[in-house]
Amino acid sequence: MRLAVALLLVAGPLAAQADSLNRAFDLERRGNYGAAVIAYRAVLKNRPADVSAILGLERSLQPLNRTAEMVPELSTALAVNPSATALYGVAVRTYGAAGMSDSLRRAVDRWAQLAPADETPYREWGNALLARRDRTGARSAYLAGRQQLGQPTALAPELAQLAVLEGDYATAAREWLLAIRKLPGYRSGAVVTLRPTPDAQRAAVLKVLQDDGSPDAQRLDAELRARWGDPIGGFERLVLVLPADPVESRDLLRQFTEALRGNPAPAYRQAMGRALEAMAQRSNGAQRSRLQLDAAQAYLDGGDRASARRMLASLAGDGSTSAALSASASGTLLRLLVDEGKMDEAERSLGQYRGVLSAQEMAMLTRRVAMGWARAGKLDRAEALAATDSSVEGLALRGQLRLFQGDIADAVELLRAAGPYAGTREQATARTSLLALLQPIEEDSLPALGMAFLALERGDTTSAAAGLASLGAGRPRNRGGAELLLLAGRLEAARGQAPAAEKLFRAAVDTTAPATAPAALLELGRLLAGSGRGGEAVPVFEQLILDYPRSALVPQARRALDEAKGAVPQ
Amino acid sequence: MCLGCVSRRDFLRVAAVVPTIPSVMRVRGWARADWLLIPMDDAQAEHLKAYGHTFRAIQRGVKAEWLLNYRGGSFLLPSDAAVARDAALNGITVEGLSDAAVTQIRGEIATSNMDAVPLEKAPKVAVYVPPFAAPWDDAVTMALNYAGIEYDKLWDIEVVEQGLKTYDWLHLHHEDFTGQYSKFYLNYAGAPWLAEMVAKNREVARQLGYANVPALKKAVAQKISAFVERGGFLFAMCTATETLDLALAAENVDIAASYADGTPMEPNAGARLDWSKSLAFQNATLELSPTTPVYSDIDGHQVNSADRRQQLGTFTIFGFSAKIDPVPTMLVQNHRDVIPDFYGLTTSFTRKTLKPGVTVLADETGAPWVKYIHGEKGQGTWTFYGGHDPEDPQHQIGDAPTDLTLHPHSPGYRLILNNVLFPAAKKKELKT
Repeated sequence: MRLAVALLLVAGPLAAQADSLNRAFDLERRGNYGAAVIAYRAVLKNRPADVSAILGLERSLQPLNRTAEMVPELSTALAVNPSATALYGVAVRTYGAAGMSDSLRRAVDRWAQLAPADETPYREWGNALLARRDRTGARSAYLAGRQQLGQPTALAPELAQLAVLEGDYATAAREWLLAIRKLPGYRSGAVVTLRPTPDAQRAAVLKVLQDDGSPDAQRLDAELRARWGDPIGGFERLVLVLPADPVESRDLLRQFTEALRGNPAPAYRQAMGRALEAMAQRSNGAQRSRLQLDAAQAYLDGGDRASARRMLASLAGDGSTSAALSASASGTLLRLLVDEGKMDEAERSLGQYRGVLSAQEMAMLTRRVAMGWARAGKLDRAEALAATDSSVEGLALRGQLRLFQGDIADAVELLRAAGPYAGTREQATARTSLLALLQPIEEDSLPALGMAFLALERGDTTSAAAGLASLGAGRPRNRGGAELLLLAGRLEAARGQAPAAEKLFRAAVDTTAPATAPAALLELGRLLAGSGRGGEAVPVFEQLILDYPRSALVPQARRALDEAKGAVPQ
Repeated sequence: MCLGCVSRRDFLRVAAVVPTIPSVMRVRGWARADWLLIPMDDAQAEHLKAYGHTFRAIQRGVKAEWLLNYRGGSFLLPSDAAVARDAALNGITVEGLSDAAVTQIRGEIATSNMDAVPLEKAPKVAVYVPPFAAPWDDAVTMALNYAGIEYDKLWDIEVVEQGLKTYDWLHLHHEDFTGQYSKFYLNYAGAPWLAEMVAKNREVARQLGYANVPALKKAVAQKISAFVERGGFLFAMCTATETLDLALAAENVDIAASYADGTPMEPNAGARLDWSKSLAFQNATLELSPTTPVYSDIDGHQVNSADRRQQLGTFTIFGFSAKIDPVPTMLVQNHRDVIPDFYGLTTSFTRKTLKPGVTVLADETGAPWVKYIHGEKGQGTWTFYGGHDPEDPQHQIGDAPTDLTLHPHSPGYRLILNNVLFPAAKKKELKT
C-alpha cells in the first residue's frame, strides 16, 4: 500500500509534465505559436534541460521571428546539462539569430569538443552566419571545420553551395567533386546546382572537371554537357568511364538518359539512342530487346535511320523476342520504311502484319503508309489504302488527301466530319485552322492549292510558301486570299525569310478580311519587334488595337505593345 | 466640346476613331460626349496606365481635372479624339459624359469631401539612376515605364554639375547617400555587381574632386535638398529616404564605415548630427556595425537585422479634407484604404524620429512606425514612401523585376503615381 501511494505520488507530477509537453506540441501543431511558446516555457520552468521542450520552443519562436528571445532558456539549459550535444545546435542557431557572435563561437567550440569527429557544429555555424547573409563568415566557418577535422572533403557540399550563391561555379565544381568522392549520392545535387552555370563560366567548370580527370569528374562532365546542349559529346565522355560491372553501367546510363528525356531535338534523340543501345549491350533477354526497340525509335526520331535499321535488324535476329515486342518493332520498321520513301516495301510489310497485329494497330500503320504514298506523289495509292478507314482519324486523313488533290469541297466536308477529336490536340488544332482557311474559298476545286499543301506535307516549305503566296495574291482578300497570304507569311517567317514574310503579312492586312487582318497585324508586329525594329512594331500593334477592338488578339497586342515600348520587362 | 463647334477635319478625325473606342464608351454614347471621365474605382481596368494617360493628355495641352475622392480619385478630361485613342490603346476604361452629367458631378463634389483640382502642366520628371546594373528593381521607374510617363535619367555628375535646375520632379529609390554601398560591402564581397558599383562610385568621386564616395554623396544630398528648397518636388522610396536625411544631418560628421572612406565612423557621431539640415527625421540613433545593412532606428522594420527584424503587417491610408488639404488628399487617392506592407532596406519610419510638422499619409495601426509621409522645405515639398517594391513584399537581391501587367490595379503603386501627377496641379488651388 505504501509502495502504491509512493508510485502515485511520483507518477502524478510525471504525468502532469508529460501533459504539459503534449499540450505544447498540440498548440504548435495547430499553428498557435504564441500559446505554444508559453506552454514550452512552462515545461522548461520545471525541467530546464528538457531537449524536446527546448527544440519545441525554438520551432515555435521561429515563425514568430523571435528566435533570439530564447537566449535565457538556452543558457539555463546549457548550464544544467552542458554535455547535451542536442542543445548546441539550438544554441548556435539562437546566438546566430541574436547576433551574439562571441557566444556563438563559444558554443561551436564546446560542441566540437564534445563531438570532435563531427562536421555538424561547423555546418550549423556556417548556416547561422548565412542566415545573416554573412557569406564571408560562413566560408570561414566551413573552412575552419575542414581544418579542425583534418578532412579535405569535410563540408564540401556546403562550400559548393556557398560558391554557387556567390556565382563562382568553378569553385563549386571543385567542391562538388570532393563531396561526390566522399558520397557518390551527391552527384545529383552537383548536377542540379551546376546546371544553371552561366555560359561565360561553363568552360571554366568543364576545365575543372577535365583537370581532375577522375571517373567521377568525367561522369559529371557528361551530365553537364548533356544539359548544356552537347548531348552527344556528353555520351562520348560517359562511355569512356563506364565501369565493367553491367549493373553499375546501366545505372549510370539510365541517369544520363534522364538528362535527355523530354528534349525532341535530333541531337538529343540520337544521344538517347546511343545510350539505350549501350544499355542494351549490357542487358539480356527481354530487357535487351525492349532497350533495342527503344533505341531504334530514338534513332528514328533523331533522323539516324541507319542506326535505327541496325537496331531493328538485331532485334529481328533475336529469337527470344516476345510477340508484343515484335508488334512494336513492326511498327517502328514500317515507320522507317515510310521515312525512307520505300513505299512498296512498306506496303508489302503491311500485308505481312495482317492477322499478327490488332485491328487498331493495323489501321494506324495503314494510315501511316497511305500518308507515305501521298508524300511520294501517289495520291491514288494513298486513297486506295485509306478508302476503307471509317474512323475519325481515317476521315481526317481522307480530308487531307482530298485537299492534296485540290478537291476543296470534299476536303472541307471530310475534315468537318472528322471533328475536333481525331489525332493529337496539335493535329486537331491544325485541322481547325485548315478548315478556317478553306471555308472562305468558294471554288470546289483548286489543284494549285492542293499542290501547295502537298509540298508542305513533304517538308518543301519553299515551294509551299511560293504556291500559297501566288494563290493568295491572285484571289480577293475576303475570299481566302488574306488567309493564304498569312499562311505563306508564317511559312516564310519560319524559314527565316523576314523580308518575304513582312511583305506577305502586310498584304494580308485588309479591311475586307476582318477575321484575318488582326492575326496578320500581330504576326507582322512580332516579326518587326523580333528583328530589332520595335519602333516600327508599335504602330502595327496600335493599328490592331484601334481598328479591331473586338478581336480576341487585342490582349496579346497590348502585351506586345508594352514590350515593344519597353514598358514592361521582357 | 460640342460637335457643332469643331471643324469638319476634326469631326472626321473623331469619327474615324469611333469604332475603335472601348464598349463602355459606346454604351454611354461617347460620340455625343462632351467629357471623358476616367474612373479610378473598381470600374477601372488599368489603374496604373490611367495616370500615364492623364499625364500625356496634359503634355498635349489638354486641361484635365483630378476629381479628388470622387470614385477613387478619377480624372476628367474634355472629349478629344487623341485622348480616346490613347485610352483604347492602353485598355483604360473611359466613360463619356455630357455637360449636364458633369454639372451633376460637380454638384456632388461641392457638397462632399471632394474637390476638383485642375491639372495644367506636366512636370518635367527626373529619376536618379546609377549607370550600372544594380541587382534590384526600382518601383518608380517600373511604374513610369508601365504608365508610359517620360522621364530623364540622371546620376551624381548631373546632380552636382547641373543642380537639377531644369526639373520639377525628382525620384530617388534604393540609393545610399551615406556612401556605404547599401552596407553590402562586406556581406557581398566578391559579387561582380558590387565591384562595379564601388568602381563607378569611386571613379565619379575622383572625377568630381571629392576625397571619397561618402563626401560625394553628401554633396549630392545637399544639391537635392537645395532643389526642394527652390520649389522642387522630391519623391523618395526605400533606403534613399533614410540615407538622404542621414547624409544631410551628417554634413560635418563622419558616419561612414572604413571600407567607404578609409576611416571608421567618428566616435559619438550620432550626438554630433545636425538635424536642422534634414528633411523628415530627427534624433535618430545610428547603427554602429559596419556589416549590418541597417543605418539607424529611423527604419521600424530593420529587415536586415536578425534580432530586430519586424514582421510585415498592413498599412492604412489616411483620409484628408479635400477642400482644405488638397495636397495630402492628392497623394493618398486610391481605390483601397488598407494595403499589404512590403519590405525594403528602409521599410517604414519610426514615429519617434519624425520631425514635428511632418504629415503622416499612411501608417500601420498601433505600430510604432508609419509608412508614407510628406512635408515641405522652402518652396518645395518632399514625400517619403518606405519599402522597395509594393508588389514584391520580400524583394531579394537578384530577383526578377516585377511585371506590372500582372498588377494593373496595384494600390501600392498608385501611391507612387499620385506623386508624379501631383506636381501638375495648378498651384493657386493648393491651400497647404
